[in-house]
Amino acid sequence: MTDYGHDLLFGVFVTPTAEPVRQAVDAAVAADRAGLDLVTFQDHPYVTRLADTWTLMSYVAARTERIRISGNVLSLPMRPPAVLARSHAALDRLTGGRIEMGLGAGAFWDGIEGMGQRRLTPGQAVDALDEAIQVIREVWDADAPGGIRFDGEYYRVAGAKRGPAPAHDMSIWVGAYKPRMLRLIGRAADGVLPSLSYLPGGIEGYTEINRHIDGAAVEAGREPAAVRRLLNIDGTFAPAGTGFLKGPPEQWAEDLAGVALEHGVSAFILATDDPAVIATYAGEVAPAARELVAAERDRT
Amino acid sequence: MKLRHRLRIGALVNSGAADVAPHAEAAGYDLVAVTGPDAWTTLSWIAGRTTGIRLLAVGLAVPEFDPAVLARSAAALDLLSGGRLELALTGEPDVLTEAIEIIRGLHDTARPGPLRHPGPRFRIPGAQRGPAPAHHIPIAVTGPGPLPLADGWFAGTPAELRAAPDLPGEKRRAVVVPLDSGLGDLLEAVIEHGADTLLVPISDPADLGRFAAGELREAVARLLPHPLPVVAKPASVRSKRRPGIEYDAIPGSLAELAVEPGDPGYQRVRSTYMRGGAPGLVLRPRTVAEVADALAFARAHPHLPFGVRSRGHGISGRSTNDGGLVVSVAALDGIEILDESRRLVRIGPGARWMDVAQRLAPHGWAITSGDYGGVGVGGLATAGGIGWLARKHGLTIDRLVAAEMVLADGGRVRASHRENPDLFWAVRGAGGNFGVVTAFEFEADEVGNVGFAQLAVGADDPAELLVHWGRAIEEAPRDLSGQLIMGPARRGQPRIAQLAAVVESDDPQTIVGRLQPVAAVGPLYDQNVVLTPYAGIMANASPAGHDGHGEPVSRSALVDHLTPEFAKAAARLMDSGAAHWFQIRTVGGAVADVPADATAYAHRSANFSVAVMGADERRLDTAWSELRDHFDGLYLSFETGRGARVLDAAFPPATLARLRELKRRYDPGNLFRDNFNIEPGGTR
Repeated sequence: MTDYGHDLLFGVFVTPTAEPVRQAVDAAVAADRAGLDLVTFQDHPYVTRLADTWTLMSYVAARTERIRISGNVLSLPMRPPAVLARSHAALDRLTGGRIEMGLGAGAFWDGIEGMGQRRLTPGQAVDALDEAIQVIREVWDADAPGGIRFDGEYYRVAGAKRGPAPAHDMSIWVGAYKPRMLRLIGRAADGVLPSLSYLPGGIEGYTEINRHIDGAAVEAGREPAAVRRLLNIDGTFAPAGTGFLKGPPEQWAEDLAGVALEHGVSAFILATDDPAVIATYAGEVAPAARELVAAERDRT
Repeated sequence: MKLRHRLRIGALVNSGAADVAPHAEAAGYDLVAVTGPDAWTTLSWIAGRTTGIRLLAVGLAVPEFDPAVLARSAAALDLLSGGRLELALTGEPDVLTEAIEIIRGLHDTARPGPLRHPGPRFRIPGAQRGPAPAHHIPIAVTGPGPLPLADGWFAGTPAELRAAPDLPGEKRRAVVVPLDSGLGDLLEAVIEHGADTLLVPISDPADLGRFAAGELREAVARLLPHPLPVVAKPASVRSKRRPGIEYDAIPGSLAELAVEPGDPGYQRVRSTYMRGGAPGLVLRPRTVAEVADALAFARAHPHLPFGVRSRGHGISGRSTNDGGLVVSVAALDGIEILDESRRLVRIGPGARWMDVAQRLAPHGWAITSGDYGGVGVGGLATAGGIGWLARKHGLTIDRLVAAEMVLADGGRVRASHRENPDLFWAVRGAGGNFGVVTAFEFEADEVGNVGFAQLAVGADDPAELLVHWGRAIEEAPRDLSGQLIMGPARRGQPRIAQLAAVVESDDPQTIVGRLQPVAAVGPLYDQNVVLTPYAGIMANASPAGHDGHGEPVSRSALVDHLTPEFAKAAARLMDSGAAHWFQIRTVGGAVADVPADATAYAHRSANFSVAVMGADERRLDTAWSELRDHFDGLYLSFETGRGARVLDAAFPPATLARLRELKRRYDPGNLFRDNFNIEPGGTR
């Protein structure tokens, strides 16, 4: 039993289809209206059937009222960290604090290289992400004296102006599975964002994720609860239950509450573009799962 | 007088002042320009808060902005905003040259293969092209940037404008002018120095009214002998213009998205699925008002061919031509649930049927359409719609409850059983003659998973197979609909008929039971049966543009029964080699429940719709005429023939007489003449 005591977040992972691009906007607006907490988008600038994620996020921010928005996750090799920091802060100010930063060290290096960016080994990509997080936090630290000076192996900043600061204490959530990246998250990030379908051994794989993050956090003098545990999920609604997240909404709620209480996962991001599924997830699954978790937390 | 483009006035806002933009739009400003470190984010946000104002990103510095990423971002914002984006780039001329080449190269999806760029500043080993933006995004440059590649030039101050390089007429000139500029200074910038885009720094919405925009526009209009084009095209584009088209008079609302033969996007819009074309101008309205503007432009060109295109699959509706006009309503592609309890759905003519099926599937609904998902809603839903659920749910037009249209005179009307019922009758079967439908309202059906079968059966004796298949279909319950396709015999190969059928049931036993009699019409060589949502059958079209060539020759007939006599004649037709494509779709069932006089589509008793295609029109007609005795009408969507003969076959005399009378009332000038034209002056 692991529980970091975070409030639960329910979100969606919407395909940023380029044509018709309105499909993604409609799904995000549906998620906002349905009362979900988060709408997130994958980011693969080298895949041309997808619309540019940051542009879409900015547009969606203007078309929604309450929902929080993040990349899931943004491709760091394609997006310089200082630009990421500034644009996230700017959009956070425009939205009154509805933006979070989802970051990834880069996948699909053939595509990244094809667009003219440098190919990194997995180890180098972790180091680059480590540097990027430092640069981002420097940019956001608008009140610190002097310009930003950062002399890294992958990123260099020589005296650039600080700011703007985001409108709220923005989280950096990182997509990760492997020990080195997880230890970086425990030390320096605010959340881990893996996908259930890629977890080795299924949901039990989260035990390893928590072990690495918690250890690194404690080593760095942080509370393990400083790192939110998020999860991308897939599922189908059906009248009869046939497996994990395959069944009626009540069963989904039980499945997710179980994962929340067992593994400390506090954000469930469902991959769907379908307004009807979004409505069911927001209207039936989320409140029921929250109730189950609250009841269990009260009991213990 | 250097001014070459219609004057535009824009609000220049800093990225911190995004809230100014909706006010600028309301105040009649033509564009909003955003500058500052977060210009891109702010402009994307503004796109979501405005509907028509043009969006200019100012001062994007290259190489700080990676041009390949910028190309993707720009395409996304242009698609999101409905083609409203413009860019102004800054940087060293050499670097900008590369950047513009990369951006244009990545947007040019008509070119084969990935984009490669050798450097020296940017090295792109091989990047996929696309997505293509909604329109040619104008790129302006500052300073001594690469003018030959750019669409315009950007001056930060009037003084800079005065020292402008000598620019060809098609290049736009933008200049930032102070808010309190006097009319004399503004006129000097516009008239003496040819600035067509004036950007006024605005930090507070209250300042929007302080700029002398109205006086300036009036003064400029007084000085001009005739209106200027919204977009002045370079000589290389103008040289490809076709005669008889007033290109410079294209209404402002349509000019930015209009495509003419010299434009980079022309290859993507010139042809249709089956037909090669070379129209002189393609107009792409995004709103009902723009449709009316486009029709006004078409009315002013009565001497030219004129077609209306939803998604370019028409056989009878040409929707392309040689040297004429095309109005493409692809951008009107909304799909909206109006009333969950009544399953009422509102759909734009530019939506594709696969998108409709996809959108309705989560609700457990479907609207029967054709058999191909790439077909647009507009053409099919104004002609008939013979699809996979026809015998159970009727024609597509039978699910229609209302249509909103722009008529030939630009008037907007709603047609339903209660409003303009005559027009509602006509639009269901002969709609292409009466206007442009801008929204359809359908009542969807509850359709769960269906069985979808594709069978290959031996057809050594094609006539016998046709008779058996026809009998199996007629005896089948209505939850089965389907089709049969045969080609000419090929030497040394067994003759095959491709059968397909949909059984509207999610019970495997029912599906197998329904399919057995169909599969038994001949020796079964291959079979594939799946349980799928209707949307799964329709998800069969590629998103690529059309590149049809030549001119198809297609003939259609409706047939009550596949009698042995019909079947023998059909087999002779196939043996003749005059037809390379022979297809029968099932109708009857619910289609025949609707009285013949209830819609303009009148030949409702038929159980089968036959379509053939050939290469040689005269040869095909000779062979086809042998079957004529068996016909009871035709379905216009599969017929390329024109004139009195096909009109008489498509519509019974009373139907045709009523259509003619309505044509005289709604389109006396015969503006809509591209698809089964019922001439208002005709007599029969």
